[in-house]
Amino acid sequence: MQVSSRADDVLVTYSLGSCVGLSLYDPKAGVGGLIHCMLPLSKIDPAKAKASPCMFVDTGIPLLLTKVYELGATRKGLIAKVAGGAKLLDQKSLFRIGERNYTVLRKILWKNNILIESESVGGTVARTVYLYMSNGVTTIKSRGKEVAL
Amino acid sequence: MSRREEILSTVRSVPSLPAAAAEVVRLIRDPEVGIAEISRAIEHDPGLTSNLLRMANSAYFGIARSVGSVQEAAVCLGTKRIFQMVIASAVSPLVQRPVKGYDLPAGKLWEHSVCVAAGAEQLAEELKLEAPSHLFTAGLLHDVGKLVLGTFVDVDAGPIMALAFDEEMSFEVAEAQVLGINHAEVGAALLDSWNLPKEIVDADRWHHDPEAFPGDDTLVVDLVHVADALSMMQGIGAGSDGLNYRSCAAVTERLKLKTAVTEVVACHTVAKLGELRDLFTHGKGR
Repeated sequence: MQVSSRADDVLVTYSLGSCVGLSLYDPKAGVGGLIHCMLPLSKIDPAKAKASPCMFVDTGIPLLLTKVYELGATRKGLIAKVAGGAKLLDQKSLFRIGERNYTVLRKILWKNNILIESESVGGTVARTVYLYMSNGVTTIKSRGKEVAL
Repeated sequence: MSRREEILSTVRSVPSLPAAAAEVVRLIRDPEVGIAEISRAIEHDPGLTSNLLRMANSAYFGIARSVGSVQEAAVCLGTKRIFQMVIASAVSPLVQRPVKGYDLPAGKLWEHSVCVAAGAEQLAEELKLEAPSHLFTAGLLHDVGKLVLGTFVDVDAGPIMALAFDEEMSFEVAEAQVLGINHAEVGAALLDSWNLPKEIVDADRWHHDPEAFPGDDTLVVDLVHVADALSMMQGIGAGSDGLNYRSCAAVTERLKLKTAVTEVVACHTVAKLGELRDLFTHGKGR
């Protein structure tokens, strides 16, 4: 997880597979944050969640929100963008971590009254996410191409 | 010469196992040879010796007390672990290279390899199965074929990517369709040329298609298949091929896998990854 209030920062998280990434940016406050969570629910290993809360969506997202609020962002000002949650090709597989990550993320954002402005979710590609603090633009880089989210 | 034959002929141009490692592998596979002789062969190579001692004193491979000599390591950890460590030490410089075609920067294939090796062992533990002795090495080497095939995938990236991502064809099937061979088969040919045990060669050959594996003992192939899927899902070593592979339903049935188990394995594997990845990089990279 990274948070910043410096316009010359570029926050980045590399190679999201089934993991989900959330980019938050408050243009008024000039505050942003980016997180990369690997698994949906911390109950599978509470000790690990305590040591590395960002590993899980249900502990990481609330922590990211707390950190951007601490830097001066407000809930109303936040622009939320989501990426990741990719899956293997099969439809009926056990390996649905990506889908589960995304569902838990949406639920937490909904509970916090935060709407997702845009997203690039699912599919079978790995994504790298950048948040440019100079203008709040979030981009996705995948298979060599970087596009704005 | 067909494209397939051309690709297979380049397997010979990939560096083979360093001589010292090849000799140790030969000795370990010989039931007549004792630990003292194996240890002496390792000690002839200073690089191998220092890597092995570093591994023997790591949390992943090691035991509670510190190990000062190769012989001590061999006695305490057993030849199964020594074999794994010798192979890891030998292939690490090769696997740490950037991989063309799959767009993997330096170190990423290594990270994926280590993640699958550790993940397969973690999965065995979680399922309360005894990890077969070659499981770690089979996991570590399952994608070496990418080192050879990458150059060819790079040249034909357009049609391969189109089949994979537009037609939803599993990536290795797209490779075979365009190039006449996939990275699993190339990898198996490479490992076979290194005289590695059949179990390891087979796991590489069938890791994307465990159902087609003609042998009876499917455990190593199955565990590597699942660990590979989990590693890709964590984005570790997911290159231009992304997660564009299929998981095998027969494997999930055979292993009686549950979603919760896969998540626990992913969680615990990632925790062990940093140490394993850095055992050979001495703080280089991340």
